[in-house]
Amino acid sequence: MAARWSSENVVVELRDAQATAMSVDCLGGHAVLSGRRFLYVVNLETPSEAPRKIGRPSKWDVGTVQWNPHKAESHVFAASSNQRVDLYTWRDGCGEVHASLQGHTRVISDLDWSWFEPEYLVTSSVDTYICIWDTRDTRKPTVALSAVAGASQVKWNKRNQYLLASSHDGDVRIWDKRKPNTAVEYVAAHLSKIHGLDWHPDNEHILATSSQDNSVRFWDYRQPRKYLNILSCQVPVWKARYTPFSNGLVTVMVPQLRRENSLLLWSALDLNSPVHAFVGHDDVVLEFQWRPQKEASKDYQMVTLSRDQTLRIWRLDPQLQKLCANDLVEDLMEGISLTTESEKSLPSQDPEPTVHSSGLPSEDLQGEDQAGSLTSGGRHDPSALPQTLQQEFSLVNLQIRNVNVEMDAVNRSCVVSALFGTNQVHLVVKFPSHYPNNAAPSFQFISPTTIPTAMRTKIQKILTDTSLQKVKRNQNCLEPCVRQLVSCLESYMTQEDGSAANPYVLSNPVTPALPAFPRVTNTYGSYQDANIPFPRTSGARFCGTGCLVYFTRPITMHRSVPPTEPTPRSLSALSAYHSGVLTPMKMRSESQSSLRLYSGSPTHTDKDHVSISSFYYKERKPAQSVLRRWSIHDCPKSRRFKTKREGADYGNRPIKLAGKIIIQEISCLLPVHKALGETYILNVNDIQDTCLKNAAAALVVGRRDMAKVWALASAATSLELSPDSDPDADAPWARHPFGRHLLETLLDHYSLMSDVQTLAMLCSVFRSQGCSQDYFSLYGQHRSSLFPSHHLRYPSYTSSSVSSGSCYSTSDSTTTTTWSIGRDPEHIPPLGESSPDDYRYANQMYADPREREREQHDMNKRLLDPANTMQFDDFKKCYGEILHRWGLKEKRAEVLKFTSCPPEPHKGIEFGVYCCHCRSQARGTQCAVCKRFTFQCAICHVAVRGSSNFCLSCGHGGHTSHMMEWFRTQDECPTGCGCRCLLQSTF
Amino acid sequence: MVSVINTVDTSHEDMIHDAQMDYYGTRLATCSSDRSVKIFDVKNGGQILVADLRGHEGPVWQVAWAHPMYGNILASCSYDRKVIIWKEENGTWDKMYEYTGHDSSVNSVCWGPYDFGLILACGSSDGAISLVTCSGDQQWDIKKISNAHTIGCNAVSWAPSVVPGSLIDQPSGQKPNFIKRFVSGGCDNLVKLWKEEDGQWKEDQKLEAHSDWVRDVGWAPSIGLPTSTIASCSQDGRVFIWTCDDPSGNTWTAKLLHKFNDVVWHVSWSVTGNILAVSGGDNKVTLWKESADGQWACISDVNKGQGAVSSIADGATNEQ
Repeated sequence: MAARWSSENVVVELRDAQATAMSVDCLGGHAVLSGRRFLYVVNLETPSEAPRKIGRPSKWDVGTVQWNPHKAESHVFAASSNQRVDLYTWRDGCGEVHASLQGHTRVISDLDWSWFEPEYLVTSSVDTYICIWDTRDTRKPTVALSAVAGASQVKWNKRNQYLLASSHDGDVRIWDKRKPNTAVEYVAAHLSKIHGLDWHPDNEHILATSSQDNSVRFWDYRQPRKYLNILSCQVPVWKARYTPFSNGLVTVMVPQLRRENSLLLWSALDLNSPVHAFVGHDDVVLEFQWRPQKEASKDYQMVTLSRDQTLRIWRLDPQLQKLCANDLVEDLMEGISLTTESEKSLPSQDPEPTVHSSGLPSEDLQGEDQAGSLTSGGRHDPSALPQTLQQEFSLVNLQIRNVNVEMDAVNRSCVVSALFGTNQVHLVVKFPSHYPNNAAPSFQFISPTTIPTAMRTKIQKILTDTSLQKVKRNQNCLEPCVRQLVSCLESYMTQEDGSAANPYVLSNPVTPALPAFPRVTNTYGSYQDANIPFPRTSGARFCGTGCLVYFTRPITMHRSVPPTEPTPRSLSALSAYHSGVLTPMKMRSESQSSLRLYSGSPTHTDKDHVSISSFYYKERKPAQSVLRRWSIHDCPKSRRFKTKREGADYGNRPIKLAGKIIIQEISCLLPVHKALGETYILNVNDIQDTCLKNAAAALVVGRRDMAKVWALASAATSLELSPDSDPDADAPWARHPFGRHLLETLLDHYSLMSDVQTLAMLCSVFRSQGCSQDYFSLYGQHRSSLFPSHHLRYPSYTSSSVSSGSCYSTSDSTTTTTWSIGRDPEHIPPLGESSPDDYRYANQMYADPREREREQHDMNKRLLDPANTMQFDDFKKCYGEILHRWGLKEKRAEVLKFTSCPPEPHKGIEFGVYCCHCRSQARGTQCAVCKRFTFQCAICHVAVRGSSNFCLSCGHGGHTSHMMEWFRTQDECPTGCGCRCLLQSTF
Repeated sequence: MVSVINTVDTSHEDMIHDAQMDYYGTRLATCSSDRSVKIFDVKNGGQILVADLRGHEGPVWQVAWAHPMYGNILASCSYDRKVIIWKEENGTWDKMYEYTGHDSSVNSVCWGPYDFGLILACGSSDGAISLVTCSGDQQWDIKKISNAHTIGCNAVSWAPSVVPGSLIDQPSGQKPNFIKRFVSGGCDNLVKLWKEEDGQWKEDQKLEAHSDWVRDVGWAPSIGLPTSTIASCSQDGRVFIWTCDDPSGNTWTAKLLHKFNDVVWHVSWSVTGNILAVSGGDNKVTLWKESADGQWACISDVNKGQGAVSSIADGATNEQ
């Protein structure tokens, strides 16, 4: 997973090249690979092109190859072959030897170009000499350092031009080339051979050594007695080199298994766990080198050569680089120690074929596999021999319910006891000494096994077959065998009692012994997932209006065992369930990534290897080695190769990883009812009828409380209680305790219940009852208007967006009646709704006390407190939304009609005037502050948009034509304000 | 009665991580570790696979339906660091937009209320929250809040557009200028509220109570009451209900709903905002309701896959 993200890699396959060494030039453009018969130069910019070849007539393999690291000499590289170093020139796609350095008498083990002087090259050899060459004089070395012991590595210091380090078995010597007689410093670095040596890129005193003794050590050579730090790996380390960025370190382990993942990135600041694993190579990584960072690119690229004859280019993005810089992973990695389990010697040096169990099918990745070498170990590590069977035992994932495995590595045997229902099975497995190298273990039932003999024979045969299949490939077979046994017994059980009972719950649980091995990190790139939350595998969501959608893990996955541990928080926690062997999933770059998924036809074998389910799965069927099911690992860029599956593998019962999704109707838990939404009506013309019908509707759905509420509403809106328009009459019903107060209490109650349906309906009904002026109490208090109702004749001026129906002003003042004459003399129902605009434009012009009283009365006679209009509107909007979800769009429109939507702001021609109403500066015909037309014609009372004239004294005026007309005969203001406009102003 | 009205067999090849129905409750979208997103028509108890959307290269964590006024649009987010916005056109679902601006797994996506336009919030393990807005014809505008949560952001949830109080102060007559707000939860154990001011997203509040990663947050839908409510749940097993009565939105008080024994992964509010569904690592779903005196009580227990919500409070809501 993470591996893939960071390392979207380019793969170059070099068939038949038999490359043994590789180098990337200092410009990052080319990589040279040394094969047996040719040198191959790969253009890294276009890696897909066929590499250029340079013939090489030598019977010796190339030991080391290296480009000159200086730009001026970047076309030169050196390749050592037996006792000779050949210097090649690479130009224009052709390469040739231009010089040879001969001086060593035995095979050259390493060479290194100086970082400071482009002509200088150092070579080390088993002939005990370290030679420094000036390539301008190829006849003999300029300096020869005698080390007495043969050297395996030699490296120039990166910060000090005189210093170099060489390794001799487990020792390191530091040389100053100016003092060739003797080494400057000796460091007894390791107990076994040092395979790799690297100077710190920034600190001239520090170097890292990697060794056969399973460790990387960091040294300040001035303190040769004590290493600065150690990275214990439990496998020999082939190379350990600093990264060009921050504090990273890349190691190549010496894997025991071919496909084991051995290329790791570490933060030198936190050596507890690797930061990243580069997954992809199928075989030993022979060499890795960094491409110089491209300009403007934050990514680094690493080029690796593996014995699988592929060259890969990995990208390390800044994210990954950052991981090396700080230890973000800190406690997340707690308890995880890096112990890459693979063991043994350098494959290249190891003659014993048994060490490499070859050709593991990609799926087959049990913990035991990598442990499977019994015969190899001993050479370098005497303790390795007993360890390996032990390793299989300790890594084997056998937490199967009802199965107990007692393992005895010393006697090379184990006893498997299984308890299924009333049946007991005891089986002794004996491992021959060559196991698993084509030597199958023997299986024998011992008492008190209770299953019939026929069954025993059958099982024995299956087990033998299974184990043979495995050991033929040099793989461990204990775990698969035990699983086979379990699945046989299960099917036997089901046959026997014919019941569908789950065998897992039949018998009393035998607590599986926790394997007594430390948690082993698999390093499978999961470190970057430390901050990714562990995925949800169950969830519930309210959807639509009355549904609860939920999904849980399938029942098979959690039935029997209650979780013994809490669910981890981070995805990386899954790595803890890996057992140290790295998944040999073959990676390819790009594209084909999801072939497997697309091809459909899922079989359980597909699935049970590849999921987060491993975590849960483990709970139930723990033995199915968890690590193999970790699908995320093979996600993005990889493609899992389904090599032939071991048919015998694991139980035949398909396991469903995806549970069902259940949709539940929970609307009865909600305070809103779709049925009511459908049947409720809002008839503004007959509120009484509306209330009665709604009461009946409420009864139908069983909302008795609502029936009563509607009855109350009906009472409160009855005609007898309708407010008198005369403020001097009795106090309006709204002032009565059963008026507004009662309504408010009701609203409070239903607010508590979150019954937005009731809230919205009540608000709508009472709003229509109480006329719509409430809105203007918010918006229009301070407004005055010269513009009474005129717009009714010019509907284009109406900006009322939702109110419809009869537009009657209940507040026409006497002074405006003259203009009202033009209206339809339609009957005004007492509870009629009024257009907001009527009110807005008609109301407050004459702010005399009577008017104020009337206004007050208007407020008082309404049952809904005008101060809360916004909230009431919100109720309606929310209910409208719910109606929308129910698909009741007409009902929604009906409800929304009762909201008091503020008009859209006017957009039009702008000219700077002071608003005649609020005196604020306005740009345009509408005042930004009071929202009214900035001025209107005093004659026709239509807002003036075109050419206009006004009196600068009283501010009245209007359409130019009207004004001209008026003032032709008059000299006083047409509004009757008394201003003698013609005298006052000069227009 | 609470009843199972549909059981959908998704045929996902791996574990399901999210399931969500559209606005009208007629379609179901699911996503899974098998990297696919599936859409089912679940009208009238049916389950017809409408689309099997492939495009993610990693497990898909979450899906989100946009408001239908923008068309049939679904967003999905994945481990592969991508957010894909899918759109149905003429009956076929296609990628409408792919957002690749995150450096790590994208854990949560959430569409804003329709009043805000077509806007998607995405929370990622790279610690950032992205706001992806469709600004017209296939134009997508990205705003990114970097380092919104250290270590990573796990969940985002929008505030409803109807936020009481926010409207009252609006200049009269103007179309309400919606203040866009959302809440997020992350690996810093914090719940954070974000607010858009002058086109910039700013941290508005920081709510501290959890002692481990916050796994989900849910802003309760508003029904027009002057209280804002947020639920948050965490790895620590706690679910908190945060409420704010203060119109300025500055004073939030936390109330512990319950402490579960395992991680709580998900909280979801009913449409009226009075019932909370809680689900977590224990594979159970519980429904919680606030009583009149402000106490939260578990009203039911949806048993793992067994079916019915054993409704304790059936009909109780109807008794006044």
